[in-house]
Amino acid sequence: MSERKRLMIIDDDPEYVAATRAVLEGAGYETDVAYNPREGLAALRARRHDLLLLDLLMGRGAEGVTVARVIRADAALKKLPILVVTGLRTQLASIFPRRAVHADDIPLDDLVEKPVTPEALLERVAALLHPAATAQPVS
Amino acid sequence: MKTTLSFADEISNMMYATGTRGLNSCIQCATCSATCPAADAMDHTPRRLIAMINAGLKDEVLASNTFWTCASCYACSERCPKEIKPSELMYALKRYSIWKNRTRGKLVGPDFSRRFVRTIMRNGKSYEPGYAPAFVFEGGLRGLVREMRFALRLMGKRRIALLPSRVKRLENFRRMLSRIMPLEGIA
Repeated sequence: MSERKRLMIIDDDPEYVAATRAVLEGAGYETDVAYNPREGLAALRARRHDLLLLDLLMGRGAEGVTVARVIRADAALKKLPILVVTGLRTQLASIFPRRAVHADDIPLDDLVEKPVTPEALLERVAALLHPAATAQPVS
Repeated sequence: MKTTLSFADEISNMMYATGTRGLNSCIQCATCSATCPAADAMDHTPRRLIAMINAGLKDEVLASNTFWTCASCYACSERCPKEIKPSELMYALKRYSIWKNRTRGKLVGPDFSRRFVRTIMRNGKSYEPGYAPAFVFEGGLRGLVREMRFALRLMGKRRIALLPSRVKRLENFRRMLSRIMPLEGIA
């Protein structure tokens, strides 16, 4: 990796964040973290990032959805790839059993549900950071 | 940037959009406890609960009935001199305990909340008899008879309906919900 990619994580679950950071930094990525949407948006505006890992269920509801919409409406941020990593379905299982996450209304580039294995997470991150390389394997 | 979060930090993050000045600005004046109409039924008063959160007593806080006993009258939030918004804290603790699956057994609140949300999602409005299973068996057979007689009197005065009704244009309401809660089958 010639230049280390900088990833932003916005998630309110400290245990998930700690594990994800260890995986991503172990793979050579730089990471920044925010534990709520307001701090996350401020951090994204303060410094350039190559990818956002975004949780959905934060604050008073699925505020990650709002974050994704704000990013897509922001001239400086709208091209930032968004990987949604959510436990929405499992967190709401006691209220809405067996419902799948429905991504049509969320502006995102990819979505993965928690729990996610380190390998799967790194694969999705690499695919979003280097779409051409993953789409056409080197022969 | 913090690398580890305390319990108070986690709860504060859940309250970030409420306009609170932060749990750490609490001066323990007990205005919230003095003004709370439900404080007598709580095992810890709101003032004490805030002190417990700031002290990191996570297990004791989550085992408390305080936030499930809150009547959401907002008197504490109106009167708090430090604008902490304790009523929003009670909602944050409800969400946190459901999220972490730490709801205390034998409490009506968690089941009641789930039934309420499901009813609103299904009908677009409240339907009180639908919540009855959450609490109607609490007082045993005698309690059940008492609740049923009370319900019949309310029905006689048209205060509660026999069958649930739905809002007009339910599909528009559900489409709106799917914009804020992206789960399949809601819209």
